[in-house]
Amino acid sequence: MLAHLSAGIAIGLAGLGATLGIAMIGSKSVESMARQPEATPNIRITMLIAVAFVESIALYALVIAFMLLAK
Amino acid sequence: MTAAIEPAYVLWPLAFFGFDLSVTSAVIVLWLAVAIIFLFGYLASRRPSLVPDELQNLLEIVYEFWESQVTEVLGKRTVVWLPFIIGLFLLIVVSNILGMLPGLYPLTANINVTVALAVIVFITYHVAGVREQGLVNYLKALVPSGMPLAILPLMLVIELMSHLARPFSLAIRLFANITAGHLIVFTLLSMIVVYKNIWLAGFPLLGRVAVGMFEVFVAFLQAYVFAYLAALYIGLAVSEE
Repeated sequence: MLAHLSAGIAIGLAGLGATLGIAMIGSKSVESMARQPEATPNIRITMLIAVAFVESIALYALVIAFMLLAK
Repeated sequence: MTAAIEPAYVLWPLAFFGFDLSVTSAVIVLWLAVAIIFLFGYLASRRPSLVPDELQNLLEIVYEFWESQVTEVLGKRTVVWLPFIIGLFLLIVVSNILGMLPGLYPLTANINVTVALAVIVFITYHVAGVREQGLVNYLKALVPSGMPLAILPLMLVIELMSHLARPFSLAIRLFANITAGHLIVFTLLSMIVVYKNIWLAGFPLLGRVAVGMFEVFVAFLQAYVFAYLAALYIGLAVSEE
């Protein structure tokens, strides 16, 4: 029971943080693409890398959640 | 969770002085991936021509993309390190894609494989740094120069921690991304079995198609991130501070 609760809390909090992070990356990169359209390819690649980093932090929590559930 | 990715089964048990060197289904898929990369490289560069055919075109795209990426971080040392970086990229891409095919073992969803790749990168960039700057200078460059002696031990501990976190995060990132993809597919498809309703079976299948396309994107993105970070770490190690 407690393991299920903690797994839910772990993935929920990580999802919250990752969502905020990805939202910030997305809004800022759209902003800078609108300001400098000629830099769009560079910004897009950098944005995707940053999103991959943020996403992987959420996935660490997913792994932890599954480890808690598997016990 | 364990049902989503079945463990590698042993095809040919083999022990070598106490080490377990059994040929498992994972090893077979790794050999397959290496064979595909070798064949691709051989066939694409066998008859290089000014007007490239399809395979040569593909190889040129990969090469030119990585050349431009690696030049940003490695400068004039690009030629030395480009084969290593492209090799990492191709191996991870091919094993990610092979893992999506039914019946083939998903290599990069196995923590042993990703940790081995990350440790290779870890050792490589330290060796590169020592070879470039010499052991004494490389150890000196661990902490910023002009540091007051009082906070030197603290800085050294922080730097060592960050160095140790690098292979850890490389391995866990690749492992967690690919494992999560397979788990999502597993969860979607198990809905069919759970609900036992023929009229609802189409929706998990549609979802599986969407997730599958996203997973192809993730396969390339994670391979890119892994290889780019390897290039970045080598670049940080060989640059004079």
